Amino acid sequence: MAGRSTSGEIAAGDAAYARPAARPFWRLHFQRRITLWGIGFVLPTILFFAVFKFGPMVWAIELSFTSYDMVSMPAFVGLDNYRKLLADPVFRESLVNTLVYIAGSTILITVASLGLALAINTRVPGARYCMMAMFLTNLMPIIAVCLVWRFLLHPFGLITQLLQPFGIDRVDWLTSQSTAMPAIIAVTAWRFAPYFMVVFLAGLLAIPKDYYEAAEIDGAGGLLRFRHVTLPLLLPTIFFVVVISALLSARIFLMPYIMTGGGPGNATRVLSMLIYETGFSYMKMGEAAAISVVLFAIMLVFTMLQMRLFMRGERVHG
Amino acid sequence: MTYDLDKGTPGSRGMEEEMVSKTTSSTNGGSGVSRRSLIQGIGAAGIGAATASLAPRAWAQARAPVNLSFWTFENPQQRPWLHKRVKLFMEQNPTVKVDFQFFPFGDLGKKLSVGFATGTAPDGFVSQDWFMPTWFAKDLLAPLDVQRLGYPSVKAFSDDFAQAFVAGATKDGKVYGYPLWFYGFCNYLNTNQFKEVGLDAEKDWPKTWDQLGEVAKRLTVKSGERFTRQGFKFAMHAAQWTMIQFNPILVQHGGQWFDASGKCTINNAAGVKAMTVRASIARTYGAEDPADSIATAPLPQMDWLRERASMFFCHPIPLQAIASQNQKMLKEGYFRPVQYPGVEPGKGISTTYGFNLVVNARAPKEKQEVLHDLYKFIMSDLVDAWNDTAPFTYARKSGWTDNPEVRKFPNIDEIIKATNQGVYLPRTIVYNELADAVHRGVQRIMLNRADIKPTLDEIAAEVDRATEASKRG
Amino acid sequence: MTVLAEPPGGRTLRGHFNHYRRWLGLVPLLVLTVAFILPILWMTTTSFQAGEKMFQLTTDWIPAEWHPENYPNALSRAAFPTFFLNSTVVSVIVMVGNVVFCTLAGYGLAKFRFPGDRWVLLAILCTLMLPLEVTLVPTFLVVYKFGWLNTYQGIAGPLVIEAFGIFLMRQSILSIPSDYIEAARIDGAGELRILWKIIVPQCRPALAVLAVFAFRDSWDQFLWPLTVISVNEYRTFPLGLVAFGEDYGTPPTEQMSIAVLATIPVFLLFAVLQRWVNRGFGLSGLK
Repeated sequence: MAGRSTSGEIAAGDAAYARPAARPFWRLHFQRRITLWGIGFVLPTILFFAVFKFGPMVWAIELSFTSYDMVSMPAFVGLDNYRKLLADPVFRESLVNTLVYIAGSTILITVASLGLALAINTRVPGARYCMMAMFLTNLMPIIAVCLVWRFLLHPFGLITQLLQPFGIDRVDWLTSQSTAMPAIIAVTAWRFAPYFMVVFLAGLLAIPKDYYEAAEIDGAGGLLRFRHVTLPLLLPTIFFVVVISALLSARIFLMPYIMTGGGPGNATRVLSMLIYETGFSYMKMGEAAAISVVLFAIMLVFTMLQMRLFMRGERVHG
Repeated sequence: MTYDLDKGTPGSRGMEEEMVSKTTSSTNGGSGVSRRSLIQGIGAAGIGAATASLAPRAWAQARAPVNLSFWTFENPQQRPWLHKRVKLFMEQNPTVKVDFQFFPFGDLGKKLSVGFATGTAPDGFVSQDWFMPTWFAKDLLAPLDVQRLGYPSVKAFSDDFAQAFVAGATKDGKVYGYPLWFYGFCNYLNTNQFKEVGLDAEKDWPKTWDQLGEVAKRLTVKSGERFTRQGFKFAMHAAQWTMIQFNPILVQHGGQWFDASGKCTINNAAGVKAMTVRASIARTYGAEDPADSIATAPLPQMDWLRERASMFFCHPIPLQAIASQNQKMLKEGYFRPVQYPGVEPGKGISTTYGFNLVVNARAPKEKQEVLHDLYKFIMSDLVDAWNDTAPFTYARKSGWTDNPEVRKFPNIDEIIKATNQGVYLPRTIVYNELADAVHRGVQRIMLNRADIKPTLDEIAAEVDRATEASKRG
Repeated sequence: MTVLAEPPGGRTLRGHFNHYRRWLGLVPLLVLTVAFILPILWMTTTSFQAGEKMFQLTTDWIPAEWHPENYPNALSRAAFPTFFLNSTVVSVIVMVGNVVFCTLAGYGLAKFRFPGDRWVLLAILCTLMLPLEVTLVPTFLVVYKFGWLNTYQGIAGPLVIEAFGIFLMRQSILSIPSDYIEAARIDGAGELRILWKIIVPQCRPALAVLAVFAFRDSWDQFLWPLTVISVNEYRTFPLGLVAFGEDYGTPPTEQMSIAVLATIPVFLLFAVLQRWVNRGFGLSGLK
């Protein structure tokens, strides 16, 4: 399919640029009109992103060099905001938390979703319904997810009760420094893994059956087949899942905001929470913008990875 | 003992109110002053003089429609009562429209700040008293015209309210806030549970911090490691509550939030002592489990109401709140507010805080004037307010304390006493930063067993950084 | 499960074993599924419990007494019907906006060549690093300059086009042979007609995926409405849900009732579009 579409694309491209002279005058005009249509289709999006994405980005960078409480005019302060952030332990802790959170939830999401996809892909009867049931966790409103889990993770709540057979009577899931972040990461994986499970499943379904049959003839066992057939062919999907879940995790706000309020102490305060607090509670818009810029930088890394993945995909296509 | 939850007969009261107000408004132009406050308030002559001089202007302005916006915080009693008064005012002044909005208690300050920044702040609002310095720092409030509120002079105005409270709303001899509710914190006891462990709540209520620990220890019930009942409970769910409950402990131990130069001094010897006392209920006496709570933002006293804790420091607790969670406790009346423990017995000062009705400095003159009339009307019947919002007390001295409706409220003297011997929350422009830093520190100390002194050092450093930043602009 | 070693033994026995083995494989999967949806079950059962239940911290999976009145009671708190209406209006705007503009842009980028088209593609990819949580302050200032504070367009505006949708549509449209489009052009069909008659019908699965996720993303928004809305008339349900219990008497079980009600529209949308969504995800091979 991809091959066919690409040839069509090239044909269209050729028609627009490569062979205009060979066509009569009215045809040229016709082609130009098509080009204009193409631009017209994309134009609303370009304008929209200019106003709501890139405009704010540029503005954030500009604001990050100012002191601005929104009441008086912004005053240029150079690198002051960044210097202040570097000296601020709350910022440093939140930065570390964000990185830990990104790493933890990305790994857990990837492993869990791949595992779930493999389990569904056994094609036992009813697997499809199990998949759909699990997918519901991804559709439930995230605010409901947070409120439900806040109750479930009470020191004596349902999750602890489930652990009682193992002699565990109490776990301060959300109020202990050592478990609060892992608990939030686990809830994040619970929420997002089913989505990526579906992505993996699509990848698994796209692997031609003959590959497995060939491996089976070679006498490869289950694990060996997974290592030598499934994993290599799934690699682009894994890469995609890692990058997208990292981008998702970098922006997380509601889970720590509702479940722990950033606590205990600073254990679960992430940068997006700090942006909100600094900007809208302390009214330091300049400093909040500087935190935004730091978060841009983190997300830029993953966006670059995504870009490489995307370009490679494009090369495969044409 | 049973308490009547019925708020009397609001219908008939409303009618009477309206008639009185109608008469006054026809004679002196919309300044609805009820009979009660005329009698019990400051000199009637003063009011007469003040309103007479304003009458022509009020009359002229009554013709042009005025649209006001007004914000307050959400509370199951206070917000509906305010709304009722505003609606009543609109009925009597058909040319005035008030857009009435409300926010969760903890969000109001943030929303106001953003509102001021974007020019979407309301014309008038209810301000928590600890935010007054923030508004002052940026000249966001308009000074009040006390004569339009019915007082002959600023002095007469100040004298009619709890002095220290008005002081917090005064700058350069001008008053910027019309004080509304104002209350002190008490220690609420479950007297049944006292009896159960052989204590008499009337006599044995804890008068010092040591006694608090000892009594709490006796009241504690555990099955294995798990608390079935915590003897005493500090609120852990919100920064504001951490501040309210710790503030008097700090002050009682001779500590202060800031020194004269504005440096945060929570980490000095007095601060360490105060925080050690704060932590002792859990650490020394083993009488509370800071991680085990079912408190919610609107009901921080939930553990106490549900009898999972025997004592809790709280603002005056409305009977409706008790009724909603624990009918039995209300019916049998086995609760009692007493004064805070003190370093010395009898000196159990606690936090007091309150609310001001304020006017946005950017509101047009005409709106400011109508707001004065609205506020005067809102405040004109504190007994009506009491019927709807008891036991939330007022900063005003006159017009309610000796009313029989007020007098018959259970333990009213304890509640008023707490108001009279209170300390305010620190008045600083970095209040939000301070509260967040203290809350984080208390979480570290109570939930993660962090050492007290280094944690207090961290808090002080954080607050000093915030102060430094705010000074630079 | 299917890769277990072949058991030695008689043919009939093996046949039987194979027959049951297929079903046996379902057991661990079923356990996993139940474990996964346990919180959803807990939410649902709690929403029918008496208010007391929540404080006892025990779990009765089937309520000892049912309290369906939790639902009407919960809806009568604060202004939840209004909050739900607001959420619906905003989410429908966002969903329609994404479906329309992402299809247009996806089509433009998949089947048209114009100067700078590669750069546009990369720029759109870059917006992945600019979610609202990160650009909160300046986006707020933009919306404020537009005079959109406390309006539907204020909440929905910045969400109306998302990069995810554009890529989804572009990939889907890429797989439609360009010959179809050329042929239609030669027949004299206008560009919009081609879009409507050829592209859109072929993209139904992708459009279904886009619709579900655009709706859900907007339905989920918390921080953004919290920042731009300061009047009760325009609050969305997540704001109401967090402020829930501002009334003394509100049992937290009612909060779960609202959570259940809030979950239903997304589930319904998914159920209605489910056939297409599965295909959109490339799962048509799964039985």
